[in-house]
Amino acid sequence: MSAKLKRFASNNKTLLIMLGVIAVVFIILSLTVPNFATPRNLTNLLQQIAPIAVMACGATYVLVIGGMDISNPAVMAASAVVGVYYMTTLGGNLIVGTFVIILTASLLGLINGFAIAKLKMVPMVVTLSMMTIGTGLATILSGTRGLPILPPSFSTFFNKTTVIIILLLVTIVLDFILTGTKFGRKLYYIGNNARTARVSGIDSENLTMLTYVISGLCAGIAGVINTASIATARANMGPQSQILDIISAAVIGGVSPNGGTGRVRDAVLGAFLIVGLNNVMNLLAVSDYYTTLIKGGIIIGAMGISSYRQQQALKKGA
Amino acid sequence: MDNKLSLELKHISKTFPGVKALSDVSFSATPGKVCGIVGVNGAGKSTLMNILGGIHQPDEGGEIIINGEKVVIADPKASTKLGVAFIQQEVQAFDTMNVYENILAADLNKWRKKGSFALDRAAMKKEAKVHLEALDSHIDVEAPVYTLTVGDKQIIQIARALSQGGRILLFDEPTSSLSDHEVAMLFSVIHRLKEQGYIIFYISHFLDEIFELCDNVVVLRDGQVVGKADISDINKEQLVEMMLGYQIEGSTHVRGNTLDDVIFKAEHISGEKLPRDFSFELHKGEILGVWGLLGSGRSELFNTILGIDKMVDGQLYFKQGGELREITQKEFYKHIGYLTEGRHYDGLFLNMSIGRNITSSKLDEFATKGLGILNPGKEAVEARKLMKEVDVKAIDENMKVSKLSGGNQQKVIIAKWFLKDPEILFMDEPTKGVDVGAKNEIKELIIEKAEKGTSFVVVSSELEEIMSLCDRIIVIYEGRLVGEVQKADFSKENLMKGIVSQEEKNAE
Repeated sequence: MSAKLKRFASNNKTLLIMLGVIAVVFIILSLTVPNFATPRNLTNLLQQIAPIAVMACGATYVLVIGGMDISNPAVMAASAVVGVYYMTTLGGNLIVGTFVIILTASLLGLINGFAIAKLKMVPMVVTLSMMTIGTGLATILSGTRGLPILPPSFSTFFNKTTVIIILLLVTIVLDFILTGTKFGRKLYYIGNNARTARVSGIDSENLTMLTYVISGLCAGIAGVINTASIATARANMGPQSQILDIISAAVIGGVSPNGGTGRVRDAVLGAFLIVGLNNVMNLLAVSDYYTTLIKGGIIIGAMGISSYRQQQALKKGA
Repeated sequence: MDNKLSLELKHISKTFPGVKALSDVSFSATPGKVCGIVGVNGAGKSTLMNILGGIHQPDEGGEIIINGEKVVIADPKASTKLGVAFIQQEVQAFDTMNVYENILAADLNKWRKKGSFALDRAAMKKEAKVHLEALDSHIDVEAPVYTLTVGDKQIIQIARALSQGGRILLFDEPTSSLSDHEVAMLFSVIHRLKEQGYIIFYISHFLDEIFELCDNVVVLRDGQVVGKADISDINKEQLVEMMLGYQIEGSTHVRGNTLDDVIFKAEHISGEKLPRDFSFELHKGEILGVWGLLGSGRSELFNTILGIDKMVDGQLYFKQGGELREITQKEFYKHIGYLTEGRHYDGLFLNMSIGRNITSSKLDEFATKGLGILNPGKEAVEARKLMKEVDVKAIDENMKVSKLSGGNQQKVIIAKWFLKDPEILFMDEPTKGVDVGAKNEIKELIIEKAEKGTSFVVVSSELEEIMSLCDRIIVIYEGRLVGEVQKADFSKENLMKGIVSQEEKNAE
């Protein structure tokens, strides 16, 4: 039994470290920060975390194959605006509208994926362009006066409880697909060494394309969550700087930007840490300028620690 | 050269957590002699080099004595300062810069004009020329390095070592990426350095090179010096026995039964550059050798047939349901395995476990039909079975592949393809960078598998190996088929015949 336990610990090192850090931070904050451990703040916090966490799930897929998608927040905003435009201005059905949001985002992801996998374009350039396209699309559709407010039933349905359930479901399903299925394993192979994957008979083109679709899909789900929380959609609901939160959530969760390692589950915990940090700074009334400074420092620190550990491991191996 | 130059190692040991990499290693080197250091992978060669290079520190009690003084080599800088220089396997060069910039790259500060940031390029070129002339080389100092051959880059590396004041030169597998001609050039350079009184160490897996080049040899095994000898006093068999600690039977593959039918036929295969109009047949259970000089298009032939590179022209025929039928490359790939030349480049998933590397060739077998859910338990069982079959030496299937020695890594790739158990296995240099012991084991594995009916197409640049392993050898030159030799007629002359006649034709 203890051998099994040891095995579990060594296989899930990141998970245990993350849970430990989150627990310690949570205890310290409940004791020191006023109003932190109130049910109201905590559920608000979860609602804030959910969209970032869901997008971090998608980012994990892209990072695992060694790609990069920085268009996520813009795609999220664009799909939300398209969906809300359909539901309000065009008078569409709310259920169909929800799927419009998700499908629009997936389609934008598919365009990313096609350009990167089939046309062999550089991921950074493609998704950077998609970022401006998404923002542009959202701005044009929402117009100068913005979109009307949705009927309240939309927000009632996607309430805090539903959002938490969605987050849980997305995390569990995407984590399982990545670690427990043939499809997910192939992504790890490609991210680890795309040339070896090819020689092993693994077709990386379609799989690479799919990861960008998943990334788009996650942006769509995040779009639904965000739409519900403000009861409409705006072009600025996905600020471009949010991509830093998403990528760093994944990286802090142990997803390597070089591809080949990391889990969805741990990236979600990373999102808890990153968004939690924002929340704490808010509660402590730290100015936004300092918040960005501190956040940047923490991200560099976390990446520094992980690359230091990698080097140590290499030395030991030699 | 001053006559004070000397290097002596006394009782050097090195303990890593759990492993004694070196124990009580002592030997000394003489200026003007080439000292070969040989041993199988894991014998301690790399650790020894890393100690001399200042990357690792020896355990208490060991002494390194250079020029009569006891020294501590704390870091790579200290090592350079003491005149120790490495010439490595992988050529280290700044490709887009000029030859002279490469040679003098280590200490550019020295070449700054007084009171300015500009470099004194005229003086640099002059200095670089001096070092190149010392090596009897006529490389243009102003040429950009990417225009040079690998052999010339190697020379530049040596010139760089000399310009940094290197007097104890350590060559670590320097010939592994050189052509025959370039090897000859390198050897003449080393001879020259020897005459000038440098201390030279030469590490190589190629025993022929050790006998050709070295004056004496130090044999390491399991971290200990198990033998020192003048090269004239021993022969190859004795050397191999010292390295391994046991005798090796000269295994030559003799086929008991006659060959079965043709299982695969390639016709008029042409790639974008190489190969050109290449056709051959492969029998069931046959080990077919493809032999040619470096750059003759051997790897390109494999890559073109298998669709890794673009096939411009040609047809493949594969035996299915009792008769040869034309087959698409994509379909053909399902029936084959491909061990590539570059283990780290496109052979392994280095950061993944042994088990996952092995199962990557046949993932379908471990997944449910519809959803593709993997069964890790079954994967582990199969991986362990294969590891046992090809004898991978590792703690268990969860060990990362990057932690294995070259020979064991190669066996992991073989295990991976044996798991798929394809009808045909393409192998490009299956024993490259692998020690003598593992080399023989890999050969045995191939022969065993072929006797069970798998066909092999094997590229090797080692004549001895290809002749002992194969049933038939086809010769490739400039991407064309120029000869075919049957087992009974194997000899270097017969293999060269096609190449020579083709060269004569070209000369006309």
